[in-house]
Amino acid sequence: MSLPALPLPSEDVQPFDPPPEYADLRSSGEVIRVACPTGLDAWLVSDYAGVREVLGDGRRFSARPGQASHMLASYGPDAPVDNFTRWDGPEHIRIRRNFAPQVTHARRLAELWPLVERITDEAITAMLASPQPYPLHSRFSTSITTSVIAELIGVPPAERHLLGQAAGALFTTSTTPQELREALTPLYTYLYQAVATRRVQPGDDVLSRMIEHSADSDRPLTDGELTEMNAALLVAGFDTTASMITHGLVTLLNKPGEWEKLVADPDVATSAADELVRYLGVGTGLLRQATEDTEINGQKIKTGEYVVVAVQSGNRDPALHADADALDVARKPGPHLGFGHGAHACVGQQIARMELTTVLRALATRVPTLRVAVPLDSLRWKTDSVVRGPVELPVAWS
Amino acid sequence: MKVTVDRDLCIGAGNCALTAPAVFDQDVEEAVVILLDESPPESELVAVRQAVDRCPAAVIQLHP
Ligand code: HEM
Ligand code: SF4
Repeated sequence: MSLPALPLPSEDVQPFDPPPEYADLRSSGEVIRVACPTGLDAWLVSDYAGVREVLGDGRRFSARPGQASHMLASYGPDAPVDNFTRWDGPEHIRIRRNFAPQVTHARRLAELWPLVERITDEAITAMLASPQPYPLHSRFSTSITTSVIAELIGVPPAERHLLGQAAGALFTTSTTPQELREALTPLYTYLYQAVATRRVQPGDDVLSRMIEHSADSDRPLTDGELTEMNAALLVAGFDTTASMITHGLVTLLNKPGEWEKLVADPDVATSAADELVRYLGVGTGLLRQATEDTEINGQKIKTGEYVVVAVQSGNRDPALHADADALDVARKPGPHLGFGHGAHACVGQQIARMELTTVLRALATRVPTLRVAVPLDSLRWKTDSVVRGPVELPVAWS
Repeated sequence: MKVTVDRDLCIGAGNCALTAPAVFDQDVEEAVVILLDESPPESELVAVRQAVDRCPAAVIQLHP
């Protein structure tokens, strides 16, 4: 008997919600065997406690197969373990310790707010001076998140097209391993050279600070590690956040009363940022592999078997919020799993929160009449990517 | 209440310092959690509970 397919978000069912199959699975806590798009079979965990348990225990559930190898043809679970996103334990923590001071430390973040605010303000000014309808995803969301991460790392405008090229290939489900290598090589080549340059001519950017910070440690970061880490920030940093801005706005504007809450009090943007990530995040799930014979919700899982955690479904569990299926931008942020959980939890989560908060606050203040310019059912949605959201979002204002 | 943290497993995500700034900070060098107050007043209980839940590395323990 063939296995049921992993339920995936689809544009014709509901662009804001997890596939309907999850409601029953989640309430029973049942862990079932599913066939994933890339051909591997996995156990599917869809309730909050189960998802949290798997992601939170890197000892029993390794990140080694790659977080999206159930979705991405380019990144087989048996590919060489070539970077920290697939490491576990102390080696992985060593890398995270080198990220944290630059991108998650509260004092460092305080220095970054003005940069994000300036970039957002310029984008809104440009938007307001343009004809309507305005293509929000490409011209606004992507432009802001690309500028933020590129400025953080010190990538000059002339080289920023390398990010789009790399992320496009990395997140597209049908990319072949060969195509992925070709798309990533120019970015890696550029960064590798940038590492060499900043070693002799440091600036105030994240890359230079990482070099300086790790120089006095027991094991300074190598050129290869620095290249890998900064490529990860650049590639993981802009498309995810841009899609969350666009997908978040179309969701907000479509749920009666939610945009109005923001307009009435733009400071609601802080909770709205977390709420949108909870509501929409990681629709295609994350992959792990059991390192020992174990159990989740009473289901036995054998060493080496794969586990997919349905993050968006877990975040809609009444165990997290009684009304978890409702979007409420004023909801006080809870322990949701939209940025993941455990040692691999999103490195960029504080930066992403900052970008989402700034953009929502600024739009609610400067463009309170913002609306989607076309009927919802005429929007096209990304279906070939692990980063979900509308392909484009035409907006208008008055 | 008494709070403890396991600094060896902290990934420096900073959620604790954002959630309960009176109790947690991060060191400047590695952004690893610093426990500012290991016996915080009852008024901090809700914030500390939230910090426990929001710590991705599950390294904060609350002992009632
Ligand atoms: C709203 C936007 C974002 C969402 C929803 C998001 C979501 C996630 C999730 C769920 C993970 C965990 C993957 C796993 O457990 O296997 C992750 C990891 C990661 N994210 Fe994000 N992310 C966002 C923005 C960013 C930004 C802005 C950056 C960079 C500045 C970034 C950099 C990374 C990196 C480098 C990792 C790998 C961490 C590791 O493996 O240790 N992300 N992200
Ligand atoms: S939230 Fe947890 S992992 Fe993050 S800095 Fe605080 S203690 Fe460390």
